[in-house]
Formats: sequence, C-alpha cells, structure tokens
Amino acid sequence: MGPRNTHLDDPGGMTRRRFVASMAATGCVAAGSSGVLLADGRFVIPIAEGFLVVDTKKCQGCGSCMMACSLAHSGAASYSGSRIQIMQDSFGDWPDDLFIAQCRQCQNAPCVEVCPTGANHVDEANGNVRRVDPELCIGCRMCIQACPFTPARLQWDTGNRKSQKCDLCVDTPHLDEKGGPDGIQACVRVCPVQAIGFTREMPSQTLADSSYQVNLRDWVWKRLGMTAE
Amino acid sequence: MTLYGYAGKILRLDLTAQRAIEIDTGEYRSWGGGHGLGSALFWDFCTDKTITDGTDPANVVVLTSSPLNGTLAPSAGRCEVVGVGLNTHPVHWYTRSNIGGRFGTMLRHAGYDAIVIEGRASSPVWVDVRNRKVVFHDASDLWGTDTQTAQERIWRRIGVPRDLKTGWWNLNETAEEALDPATDQGRTTQRPAIMTIGPAGENVTCGGCLVHDAGNVAAVAGFGGVWGSKNLKAISVIGTGEIPVADATALLRARTAIQEKYVSNIEQPDFEAWTKIGKQPKLMAMVPPPTDEYRPQACQGCVSGCRARYSVGYGHETKCQVTSWYFAPARRVAKSTEELVEINLRAADAAQRYGLNTYFALTGLHWLEHLVEEGVLGPGKTIHSELPWEDYGTLEFAEKLVHALSCREDIGADLADGWVQTAYKWGREKDLRTGHMAFSYWGQPEHGYDPRAEVEWGYGSILGERDICEHCFNIIFTNVTAAFAFAKPMRIPAEELVSIISEKLSPYAKNRPEVLDYSDENMYSEDVAQLVRWHRHYTRFYKESALYCDLRWPDFYNTNTPDRRGATASDDAGEHVFWNAVTGDDLSFDDGIELGRRIWNLDNAIWTLQGRHRDMVQFAPFIYETKYEQGELFPFFMWPCRDAGGEWVYRDIMGRSMDRQKFEGFKTSFYRLEGWDVASGWPTRTTLEGLDLAGVAATLEAAGRLGKGGSS
Repeated sequence: MGPRNTHLDDPGGMTRRRFVASMAATGCVAAGSSGVLLADGRFVIPIAEGFLVVDTKKCQGCGSCMMACSLAHSGAASYSGSRIQIMQDSFGDWPDDLFIAQCRQCQNAPCVEVCPTGANHVDEANGNVRRVDPELCIGCRMCIQACPFTPARLQWDTGNRKSQKCDLCVDTPHLDEKGGPDGIQACVRVCPVQAIGFTREMPSQTLADSSYQVNLRDWVWKRLGMTAE
Repeated sequence: MTLYGYAGKILRLDLTAQRAIEIDTGEYRSWGGGHGLGSALFWDFCTDKTITDGTDPANVVVLTSSPLNGTLAPSAGRCEVVGVGLNTHPVHWYTRSNIGGRFGTMLRHAGYDAIVIEGRASSPVWVDVRNRKVVFHDASDLWGTDTQTAQERIWRRIGVPRDLKTGWWNLNETAEEALDPATDQGRTTQRPAIMTIGPAGENVTCGGCLVHDAGNVAAVAGFGGVWGSKNLKAISVIGTGEIPVADATALLRARTAIQEKYVSNIEQPDFEAWTKIGKQPKLMAMVPPPTDEYRPQACQGCVSGCRARYSVGYGHETKCQVTSWYFAPARRVAKSTEELVEINLRAADAAQRYGLNTYFALTGLHWLEHLVEEGVLGPGKTIHSELPWEDYGTLEFAEKLVHALSCREDIGADLADGWVQTAYKWGREKDLRTGHMAFSYWGQPEHGYDPRAEVEWGYGSILGERDICEHCFNIIFTNVTAAFAFAKPMRIPAEELVSIISEKLSPYAKNRPEVLDYSDENMYSEDVAQLVRWHRHYTRFYKESALYCDLRWPDFYNTNTPDRRGATASDDAGEHVFWNAVTGDDLSFDDGIELGRRIWNLDNAIWTLQGRHRDMVQFAPFIYETKYEQGELFPFFMWPCRDAGGEWVYRDIMGRSMDRQKFEGFKTSFYRLEGWDVASGWPTRTTLEGLDLAGVAATLEAAGRLGKGGSS
C-alpha cells in the first residue's frame, strides 16, 4: 500500500480510519459505501476508473487547463481554485522550467482515508472517482495535509472554507457535456497541445511522479520542431 | 450587482506621496477595458494633457487588463499600457504599447483591473500588490540591476519558494489571518507577475522597455524610460481572487468551437494553413531554434504558443524581431548557423536584461553602418564613438552597443533622446530624405511593411501616433508573398480572399472588396480610407481593449474550415462571443467596432490637446522622395489588386513612392469620414457628442482646439 502519512499517526484526531475502526467488530466493515478495512489494518477502496496523465515537456504553460477547471466547476476564473496546477519559472531551462500537479486518483487515496466525515469519498456511481462532497466537508483540511504529494493535489476553497479536489469533471455544472470517467475532462478538452491525457489504466502507484508523467509527443510535435524523445 | 468579467477595483498609485487609492471599475465600465479604460483614466487623472514630454511628472501611465484576461477567451492574455511616451518625434505623443505573459491575468487575481501611475517618487521604489494590499518599498538596492535579477530578488523578498515543486505558498502574513474567513488571503502555487525596468529605463532612454518574466516586453512607446523618470523600478502583483464570469458554459462552448473547428487538428495538422487563430504552436523566431529541446511558451489563455524556453539556457521567451535585431551584422562574422543563432539569441537576451527596445535596429543599424562607411562615425570622427566597430557582428559588440544605448554612453548619450532627434543634432537630416535613415513615421523605424506598399500599415501609423504593429491585414502579405517566394500553392485565390475578408469588415466596408485594392490607382481612394477607419476602430477595441493578441486575431480567412471563413465576427467563436460570455453584455460585432471608434476619438482629442494638427501628419521625406525597392525579406511585395480588366490578381506592389498631394487627399477623405475637421484633423462637437463625449468637446473648445464642421 501507499505511504502512511503523519496524520494517521496523530493520536489526537478522529480520522476516517479510526472512525471505521471504532465501528468495526469483526475486523471487516464497510466505511460509508466504498471503503473496507481489512483485518490486517489495510484500508481498501475501489480503484478509480480514470486517471489524468501529463507531459510536462510538452505543456506550453498557457494556463488554459486551470481556467477551464475553475470555470467548469464554479463558473468563475481562478487559479487558486483550479484542481490542476501549472507552475513555471520563466528563467528556468526546459524541461525543469515547468511542473504540472494534477490529482492522481490514488489507489489508496490517503485523502479519502483520512476524512472524518466521509465527505472525501469514492463515488461508485461515477467510476470510483475520489471526490469531496461539499455538503459533508467540515473544513478540517486533513485531506490536504494527508496528500503525500507536493504541492498537495487538493485545494483549500478560501471562500467556502472547504476542501476540494479533482473529480475528473463529474460535478461540473458549467460544462454542457457529460464529465467524469465516462465523459470529458475540461482540462483535457481545452489543452491546445494535448499535454494532458486521460487513461483508464491505472499508472504505477509509486510516490514518484514519473508514472503519471508520460510522453504525449509524436510525429506532429517533431514536425513542429521539438523533440519527441 | 456583480460586475462580470472584472475584478471591480482600479488602483491609483500616487508615487509622489507614496499613497495607494482605490476607485470602482464600475465608473469606467462603458470603456470596456484595456486601451479604452486606459484612455478614459488618463483623461481623468492627467491634469495637464498638453504635455509633450513623457518625463513630465504630470504624465500618467496606466496599466490595464481586459475582462477576457485569464478567462479562457483564446489568445486574449495581454496587458495594455498607455500614457505619454518617450519614443516619438517631433513630440512625445500620448501613446500605447502592450505586453503578454501573465501580468494582466495576475493583476485581476490580485484584485485590480488597472493601475494608474501618477507623480514621481523622490527616490527609487518598487510596489508590492497582493490581494489589494499595496506596499511601497525602497528600491535603492534594485536600481541598476537587470530585469531578470530584479524579478528574482523581488520573488525572494516576497517569499516565493525557489523550487517550483515546493508547492502552495500562503499569502497570509499571520496564522490568525489565515484562520479568519474574513481575512484569509488564500494560497497559490503561482509566482508574482512582475513588470520592471532595466538600465535602459532607469537612464530614461527612449528605448526603455517594461519587461515581465523573461521575454514579455512593452517596447515601442518607451514607457520604461517614463518609469525611470518616475523612479519606479517595478510593480509586483499576486492574488488568489477569482473573476466572475457571466456565462461560463457559453465561454467553454465557444472555446471548444475555436479548437475543434478553427484550429488545425493537432493529430493531422495542416502545417501550411492560412489562418491566424488556427495555427499549431510554432516558434515565431527569425532564426532557427538552437536545439529541438524546448517547449512552446504561451501567454495566458493562448491556443498557440509562439515563444520557447530552451534547454540551452538562453533565448527564453524571445520572439519575432528581437531574435534577429543583430542578424545582419552577426551573419558577417558567424562561421556556422549554430554560431549565428547563438549570437542572435544572446544579443536578444542582453537587450531583454537591459530592458532595451530593439526595434531601433530594424533600420537604425543600417544607418549607423552608413555613417561608419561614410567616415563620419568612429573614433576621432565627426561623430566620435569609441565602440569597437571593427568587431561589428560579434556578440561582444552587441553587448557593448546595448550597454551604451541603455546607459547613455558613447553614441547612446545622444540616441537615448531619440534617433531622429539625433539625426538632426548630428546634422544628418539628409539621411531622412535618401532613406539611409528609414524611420518612416513619428520618428520610429520602418517596420518592414513599408507605407509605399502596405498602405493600411503606413496610414494607420501616421494617422495615429506610432508604428501600429497591427498585423490584421499584414497576414495577406505573409501568406501570399511566402507562397510566391517559395513556390507554395496559393491556398485561396485573390478574388475569394478579398471577398471573404470583406464579409467581415462591417460596417464601413462590408462586402466591399475594393477597399483591399492597394494598386497605384486605388491606394489613395476613399475605399482604402474606409478600410483604414475599420482597422483603427477594430484594433482600438478588440485588439487593444479586449486585448486579443495581434498574432492570432482577427481570423478573417481560415483554410481549416470547409468554407474558409475564419473565426472573426462569427456567431460561434467571434471576438464578441467571448466578450459577451464573460461580461454578460449583448455586444454585436459592430458594437465593438463602434466602441473602438469612441476610443479612437478620445485618443485624437488627447493628441489635439497635445498640439496635433493635420499639417504635422507627414511621413518621413524618403517615403515621398524615393521608391520602395527592397523589402526586409524579399525584393517583392505581393498583394491582391484589380487588374485593368477588373479581375483580382496577386500583384507585386513594390517599386513606388508615396505621392504627397494624393496623400493629402487621402487625409481629407479620412478626416471627412471620421467626422473630423478636414482643415485641422481635430474632432468636432457633432462627432464627439454623437459618441457621448460632450465633456471632451467642451474641454477641446475651452482649449481653442475643437474642430469645425459636422459628422460624416
């Protein structure tokens, strides 16, 4: 399983794991509707049916994915409110001048595991996407802290005082197409250079980002003058 | 009431008192944004609009965003700058420039639609803007630094993580602030967008630029020198705010239409497509890339990046003319293409770091060469210069020249105050007659699309206040001349091309293809005057106020679509469609043109107060007295014209001069169509009142400069 995070070892908080454990009598109990705590202590949730992969060597840094994300979800343009983050250093050298941080829809999903209310959950009706139900979120930010990646792939919604995360566009009231694993994802749709891809095959669940970093450059890219290596 | 598309506040920076004042954007809503908003703010806050010196403390410089910045409107990520510049002759006109990158977008996330810069600081300052918190800082230790160093030092002072992957950083100053919903400033992964000047600006040179990130530059107007005169080193903006959008669904739908209908399919692209919005990302450099290890780099929201960041560590984000300002001399010494490319890109970096406008080099270097060859410029010569002219073409010479021009040293001591001004000072007026000094309009260098050939470029520049640098119709030259030069297919025949374009020239020239006929017989006609009007009004709103990118808009024709009609003015993805989706307006395409006319008239009112008269509206003498024989790239200039039988053909229009008397007739036609006084070129009461600018008319009348006559 994936890494344990410091929060899980914090004796003070009521994590989802503790919540589930406290309710378990037989060593195997459903957590909400989607998690199972095994007798050996592992917390198992269904694998997501979709993942975003990116090519940081290809990205043109236009920020369109960030704008599309916030617009599709909230109807407003916001970088801080985007579920995908593009970070750039104008003076840096390719390829280390840019980094893309997208939610990995983790197999073990520490953010889901740590949520004390079930707000951060596995949406079985929508391809097991890990998503936050804002109605249940109490704004404890434990999911943000539990994310093992830097930057954290969850965002703090300053206005609503709740956490939010990528849902592969399941809940996008401003998108007039179906979103989610069986639909489209706004960031994938608008990326002018197709530097963001969607796959149903789960990338390797290592801590390193490399499994979600793929080469999306092809003969067209090479013809445009840039390396496809 | 929600002001869709706007941050809602405008920031006034009083540098003299080091005081920040906020005003509501709503008061200026009718001007849209960008240039229109900037001109309106300049009108209100520049108390002496007769000034003709950009260094006058009364000068006001305005940075303005567009409602479209950062909203997914395609290729609309620029930021407009207006004020009295430093780079025109015979006077410093009220003028404009604009800059790409992230600044306009981040300014809005920081809470402001515009920044009005007033007064003059007593010592160097930089200004830190974070979520509407504004702090003036001493910039003594930044003064003298290059543009990259200044930005990196400010990032460190603000506390931006050095490592991209460090993650979210908090804009709160205390933990208590973060915990209180009323004060929480939020978090961001982004770096502050900084606009700064280098030594060329600090030394108040006409070539001083505003630079943002590595290669975004507001250059031609000389606003860097104006900032230098105000002791303003830099403005940094960062924020976590959001911009409300009226109809995000419509916005996303229109963006999808752009990418799926108008942009060439990236999986099977048409690499030779004739279109502006529909190109694949492609480095727009005048030299080959130094390596294939690079990414296209784009302004915020662009569908087609045109710059690059390389693995080799130089040339980042530099494009277009800046990549080749030193090409001609470097070609003489470079022993390989690789060396030629490296000299050019490193020379470009030098200019970017000094914050020096390189457009002087388009024709200015030829002039200096001419003076050296004539024996009047050099060590101990009439025009003394200790620059190592024997090393002309080397990178070392380029760097010394950039330093001299930026720091008022050697010949830079004179050229810093203007190249044409220097020609007069050096007694070289004759070079403006022979064309050895090819500075065509208002003391600015010929752009390469000579007024004697591409007339709308020349007319627009001289009827305005600067080299327009608006490639709306210039794409015709690019497509047709390149096809002719390299024996490529003419993707659209001349008659079809002008027909498609004219469909979109509403209202003045709709379905009037004759307005595009630049033949000798038609180049001074009222037809062309109508085209120039449309161009002036289109650009003042859509390109300079809505801030659509010059390289991507307008998209008149587009070979990616079945009917070859481009996105411009279309119902599914036209310029106004994005505007309406963001702002909630019900703007028609023609409404945008009319708003552009209003802005253009306000600009002319300012020029009129500055002393403009039609008698001053003259090209440099060589435009009338010599023939255009050699282009920047080709010995021909192809354009659609009607032949003797009235048939449309692509024809070479090089080899002619401008007729002075016929140009006067053209001016009269233009002024009449605009409803301006044909004797003076000044706006009239009737025209101004028709544009809801009665107050402007009253000001002109009080100054004794209101035009006589009625509207068109």
